[in-house]
Amino acid sequence: MIIPALKKTYRDKTVLDIPETAIRDGSITAVCGRNGSGKSTLARILAGVIKDDSGTSLALSGHTGYMCQASLPFRLSVRKNLLLNADKNCSKEENQQRANRLLEEIGLQEYAKKNAARLSGGQTQRMALARVLMKSYDLLILDEPTASMDQAAIPAAEKLILDYQKRTGCTILLITHSPEQAERLADQVLLLDEGKIVSLSASVDEVLAR
Amino acid sequence: MSQALVQSVQLIFSGDRILYQIIGVTLEMTLLSSFLALLLGVPVGTWLGISRFRGRKILVIIDRAFMGLPPVVCGLFCYLLFSGVGPLRGLHLLYTVTGMVIAQVMLLLPMAVGMQESHTNTLAPAIRETSFGLGLGKMQMLALTINESRYHIISTYLFLLGRAMAEVGAVSIVGGAIMFKTNVMTTAIMNYTSMGNFTTALALGIILLIIGLLLNIFVALIQWTAEK
Repeated sequence: MIIPALKKTYRDKTVLDIPETAIRDGSITAVCGRNGSGKSTLARILAGVIKDDSGTSLALSGHTGYMCQASLPFRLSVRKNLLLNADKNCSKEENQQRANRLLEEIGLQEYAKKNAARLSGGQTQRMALARVLMKSYDLLILDEPTASMDQAAIPAAEKLILDYQKRTGCTILLITHSPEQAERLADQVLLLDEGKIVSLSASVDEVLAR
Repeated sequence: MSQALVQSVQLIFSGDRILYQIIGVTLEMTLLSSFLALLLGVPVGTWLGISRFRGRKILVIIDRAFMGLPPVVCGLFCYLLFSGVGPLRGLHLLYTVTGMVIAQVMLLLPMAVGMQESHTNTLAPAIRETSFGLGLGKMQMLALTINESRYHIISTYLFLLGRAMAEVGAVSIVGGAIMFKTNVMTTAIMNYTSMGNFTTALALGIILLIIGLLLNIFVALIQWTAEK
């Protein structure tokens, strides 16, 4: 998969400036870097939420999924939130079953009928992760999907991401602050600093060493 | 003041046909106009709040300007539309409750749009990004945004109801304050005041306040039940 050359400037400050970059198809690529290194800007441009300076819109196709950092829990039941992202190629029953299974795997089955707006921050993020995993995509962009979760909930969320990748074979771009998470999940790591690619490495250890 | 209070209580329980007719027209006009303004204003305001297109800010500024439209100017405009020389004369809306409702909707609509726009504008980035990530269509995003702001919509309705109930300029011009037809509480208060019958005017004012209070309690109960 090719990420095109992208540049994004906010009021004379370049927040992202990367050359064309190839990432392995069907892999999990962790995008790491410090605060303000351009990770989320890259995710938002790739998802088509914002345009880069050239005005090129990489608007989401039906084959790209995106879970943003502040994914909103809509004022519906948790199950209905998941079903908002129901796979149109599957029957209603299949989607219901899939929603139930995801809720169970993420530990939210007892909240299925509860108003999602009343979940805690960590629960909301678990719900948002389960919601985006309802469909199969070619490319899935996850922007810090476990940042608000407590430590106990993270392994289940990471297992869900790994299982999903194995099942669908999709390419996942995982924006994360945590090198440990990158090590656990990613096949390769894209390291950003001040909007520029510092390295794209197949080895997580190599990046950790940096 | 105390005399007016006593008279207002006496008026309520007197079985006065004129009073009940005035209350009936007032309720019909205020409930209908505020509901219609809400029904039209919420989708438009939501759309303005969540959309990003060239000219959006100009539309918002125009709407905000119309939020300050003087009721008498709106009444005059409607009068000219509905009168014998106006383009809508054939509809015979002048001096009717329907005509008053239309004038009120014209006054309240920019307020409903403006209040909903400013509310959804703050919600918009998160809703847009989340909806975008899930590949939701524009209509689905609009419906979800309206659902997200349902408590605010109830507050907006209460505001519109209060404004409709307190309005006198437009309804007196368009309705003409005709007894047993288009006379509402505010125009009746104005008439009694101009006749020097201050006690009755004040009593009607107190009854109007009580009606407003009861309607607010009713809507607040709906809001609390919905929140639970």
